[in-house]
Amino acid sequence: MSNQLTGFPRADGRWGFRNQVLVLPLHSALSSVARKIADASSGAVAVSHDWSGERDGDYDRIFKTISGFAANPNSFATIFLTLNTPHELEIIKAAQKIGVNHTEIINLTELGSMDKLFEVTLPIANDLVVQAKKVARVPAPWSALHLGLECGGSDALSGITANPALGVASDRLVELGAVSVLGETTEILGAEHLLAARAITPEVGRQIVEAVARYERSINYEGIDMRGAQPSRGNIEGGLTTLEEKSLGAAKKAGNAQFTGVLDYADPAPKPGLYFMDTPGHDTEQLTGFAASGINIVVFTSGRGTPTGSAVMPTIKVATNTPMAESVPDFIDLNAGTIADGTETLEEVGARIFDEILAVANGQLTKAEKGLHHEFSLSRMYNTVIS
Amino acid sequence: MKITGFDHTNRGVGIRNLQLILPSVVCSTRVSSRIAAEVSKQYSAVTFAHQHGCGIIGNDVGGITEYFASLAKHPNIGSVLIVGLGCETIQGNELAEKLLKENSSTKYLVIQESGGVQGTVDGGVRAAKELNVTYPPKHAELRDLHIGIDLSNPNLIAAELVTQLGSLGIKTTVSSSHKNSGLNFSELMEAGVHLIVSFPDENQPASGFPLIPTLNISSNSPLHLALAADFDLPSDTTVAQIIDLIEAVGNGAKTKVEAMGAGEIIAPRVVRSV
Repeated sequence: MSNQLTGFPRADGRWGFRNQVLVLPLHSALSSVARKIADASSGAVAVSHDWSGERDGDYDRIFKTISGFAANPNSFATIFLTLNTPHELEIIKAAQKIGVNHTEIINLTELGSMDKLFEVTLPIANDLVVQAKKVARVPAPWSALHLGLECGGSDALSGITANPALGVASDRLVELGAVSVLGETTEILGAEHLLAARAITPEVGRQIVEAVARYERSINYEGIDMRGAQPSRGNIEGGLTTLEEKSLGAAKKAGNAQFTGVLDYADPAPKPGLYFMDTPGHDTEQLTGFAASGINIVVFTSGRGTPTGSAVMPTIKVATNTPMAESVPDFIDLNAGTIADGTETLEEVGARIFDEILAVANGQLTKAEKGLHHEFSLSRMYNTVIS
Repeated sequence: MKITGFDHTNRGVGIRNLQLILPSVVCSTRVSSRIAAEVSKQYSAVTFAHQHGCGIIGNDVGGITEYFASLAKHPNIGSVLIVGLGCETIQGNELAEKLLKENSSTKYLVIQESGGVQGTVDGGVRAAKELNVTYPPKHAELRDLHIGIDLSNPNLIAAELVTQLGSLGIKTTVSSSHKNSGLNFSELMEAGVHLIVSFPDENQPASGFPLIPTLNISSNSPLHLALAADFDLPSDTTVAQIIDLIEAVGNGAKTKVEAMGAGEIIAPRVVRSV
């Protein structure tokens, strides 16, 4: 297999590894019609959400999430469905400032009804899908690759098999000049001192520790000890005993490289290197934040197995154990359980994950993509955060 | 007013005979929509996208579980198939066991134990069809019609509507807690209303709730006038016209939102995800 990465250069300097045509509703009431358009189209994708433009404490976070998601470099085109309100137009402008390869704005108020909007948008989406397919891949530098590291439904093998194997692949990519981003603040809780010790400067280390402290404060404010809900019931059934144990295993996804910086939820990485992003552990809130930050490929390790994916980011699923990989084969791309079985080494599985990232970046479809898994969640703080 | 609905035993008599495919977590929404799409070729299955069920803590665990239970117990629902992932906070099997105590027309499936996506879709379609066969529609007169009124936009006609419905012996629940119709719809759903009459905020479009037929009444705002075709009734409508339409929809006529196959759910949340 050639080691050459190929993709689609965007005018803003970023790269895409897919040419998605995204139908993006800017208001919850447009979600149903967005899905209907994508379902009827010849390959456009859509997301649904429950935001109606509320001007509450989560406004800035949601604004950043939707505009960033709209500008993910894996999209060849973004079709904004809008009610033409001032804040919706601001979101479109913010997305274009980051970089939208091709913008279509469909204004419901001009068309007069949802039926008309459907009628008008469907051929536009289909035409863009045809155009997107015509674009040829060109050789890309490793800095084009922005990798997201995610785990969900962890079990006792996560920290021994899939996560450290992903760490091997992440280290190699960081060395080659790619961006790699570890998320899930909940799941470094108890391991933050180890990550901080790997920070490139004391300031970055302080930011890692502060992200966890801020997270704990936001939860304790509610009078809840996060440790009551983490590890989750599924984690415990999977053999994990404490949040700290889960965190120590989760952090292994980031290998041994130095941390270049800390990113706020949905913020882009400014230059190559390994980053920590302050995200919830909730899988789709994290995936959505990754996509909004411009991450263009994700590796998602799982002990229990989950089919979820993203409308704009190929999401590679790695099983931590062989029984699970065999029991749910239609949503697991790679099995790292072989490490525990004793049939492969950590380095061998790490190399397989690296090869898979390359193959998927170069166009091979993941199981989540084949299954049209386009889950999307808006992360809200419900005004409970004390920073 | 005479309305012939469907007897859903312990759920009550509803104005629709819908099967709810309920994803207990965001991770099972895609599988649920595939099941609902297949079952709907023959029966009336509804589902919805949401982002809840996992990574929730504190009051949200009980709150969202109760919310899902209210959906499953709604009188417009004839049977329920719960689709879980397996490792989520709200465990589909526990929710199903709780719901089964009240309604035997409940089944559940877990993706992690059903051979993956295709296995769950196949098993889910089978289970959902079995429920439809075991619990066929049973027509019945609806004597305790309950109308929900979403008063996101304060409206004089709404007060008159409540009075006139009251004089017909029809129960009403008004929700004006939010400027956001979606949140008001959720409150009205939990109150068990059969049908919603929505007066959306002047800056919000017509919208609906998946299990509850929703009539949208326009205001004179520029947005509403521009979207006149999406509203069931114009701003100068009379109370009598609304009541006539309630009777028609109660007897099966589709609202605009139903005809479009639209409707979203905004579940009440109070704490950030972990």
